Amino acid sequence: MFNLKKIKQNAPAVPILVWTGILVGIPLIYVVVLSFLSRDSLGNIVFEFTWENYKRIFDPVYLKVFYNSFLLAVLTGLITLLIGYPVAYFTANLEANRRSLAMGLIILPFWISSLLRVYGWIILLGNNGLINSLLLKFKIIDKPLTMMYNFGTVLVGTAYMLIPFMIVALYNSIDKLDRSLLEASYDLGASKWKTFFKITLPLTMPGIAGGFTLVFIPALGLFFISDLLGGGKNIFLGNLINAQIKGRNRPLAAAFSVGMIILVLLVLYIYTRITKNKKEGLFL
Amino acid sequence: MKAKPQRLRTFYLSLFFVLLYIPVLAVILYSFNQSPSTAQWTGFTLDWYRQLFRDRVIAEVFKISIVVAISTSILSALLGTAAAITTLQVTEGMEKKINTVMLLPLLVPEVALGVSLLLFFSALKLPFGYLTLILSHTLFCTPYVYIMVQLRLKEIDISVIEAAKDLGAGRWQIIKTIILPLVAPSILTASLLAVAISLDDVVISTYMAGPTSTTLPVHIFSMMRVGVTPKVNALCTLILVGTFFIIGFSQFISKKSKQREEFN
Repeated sequence: MFNLKKIKQNAPAVPILVWTGILVGIPLIYVVVLSFLSRDSLGNIVFEFTWENYKRIFDPVYLKVFYNSFLLAVLTGLITLLIGYPVAYFTANLEANRRSLAMGLIILPFWISSLLRVYGWIILLGNNGLINSLLLKFKIIDKPLTMMYNFGTVLVGTAYMLIPFMIVALYNSIDKLDRSLLEASYDLGASKWKTFFKITLPLTMPGIAGGFTLVFIPALGLFFISDLLGGGKNIFLGNLINAQIKGRNRPLAAAFSVGMIILVLLVLYIYTRITKNKKEGLFL
Repeated sequence: MKAKPQRLRTFYLSLFFVLLYIPVLAVILYSFNQSPSTAQWTGFTLDWYRQLFRDRVIAEVFKISIVVAISTSILSALLGTAAAITTLQVTEGMEKKINTVMLLPLLVPEVALGVSLLLFFSALKLPFGYLTLILSHTLFCTPYVYIMVQLRLKEIDISVIEAAKDLGAGRWQIIKTIILPLVAPSILTASLLAVAISLDDVVISTYMAGPTSTTLPVHIFSMMRVGVTPKVNALCTLILVGTFFIIGFSQFISKKSKQREEFN
């Protein structure tokens, strides 16, 4: 039953598991519990079981917010994939020196303040922004275009913020590709496109799935982007949870957080199905 | 024949990098604009930087952010390294478990993680401020240290460790004299990354900040919500310069350690 040697071998892992368990596991369990509790008129939590918070998710107003956030995260995943795949592919085919320069430029934004990067878009897209003032100056338009405060603006900001994650995931996958397979395909007379769709794309599927997951998860909750670029009309899950916390409706905020985590679990499930037989993990 | 796809490649990559950096350059550029509006360029000025240095609130939140970032960096370096080194010793099944558990904070969306910590810490009646900020930042910075040290450990030649064992070295001796020196550059780079990540966090800090102790990014966020002012541009530019010093330093270290390795 008990393998004493194994227990002794694994003993050093206990403190790590306990530490993360306390700071991640217990809070998440607590959120699930709280999402079934009620609150009194002052916002204090009352220990009384209720389905009320989950029923409210299906209120059309809130359901729309869930749909918006899901759509934003999926579209962010697709856009970063479409723009990022050629970047990763071309970068992997550069010669050594230029490749490390390109990789440096792709990774550098990780270090640049994310608020700065969102703010840059306000400066570019605002009514008095750089693009509008240039267009006005050269008389291409005669009144400023409205580019701020809509779904598209939030999508641009979110995709811009997260695209480095996608490219790094894709690059790692493309870089590992066995080049001799491509040569064999060419030798057998397959065209460039055919080789790409029949060999490169299927073999880099783990990278695509990994990149999508890494982009999808944060895209669900970066409330400062939707706040700054989306204005008051475009509400996403992150903004909603934030508002509930400020309004001291903690059980409802908990229920929305559980909803958000369920969306993540869904994507993680798909990810593990796609990469079932592959060795590489999401980060390691 | 071959020139055409290459030209396409260069064009696509150049266009991508230009788009990637234009928003950043726009922020820097307008920190020097005399006019408070981005509608026109009225001339070069350093006034916004002067205003910034007179701002008492910014000085205060900056101090808090630095204390939090440095404490976070030290704590996550210790925890992440310890966890990564532990994986060398345990069974394969346990290593997988540690991997999952260590990376868990990165798999939960920040808002959900922040809310769960807020609810948990307030149930424990912990005072919100330095303590909650450092605990939560350590939680999401540790995985990065863990990943970077783990990647380095995978490169180490196992036979060196086996040889040390055969020669009678104990566990601590092996860790101290073989493993730690080999992973030290990675630990340092990872700690610097932890500083940068901690200094950049908006979402979790929003929930963790105390009534009197907010962090720099949370403060900048509230400034941005009010509207565009070149003072924000100036502040962002200074942070950028600071971060680039950190990157330069970490590059310098990794180059040094590579040189030493080649020399050996």
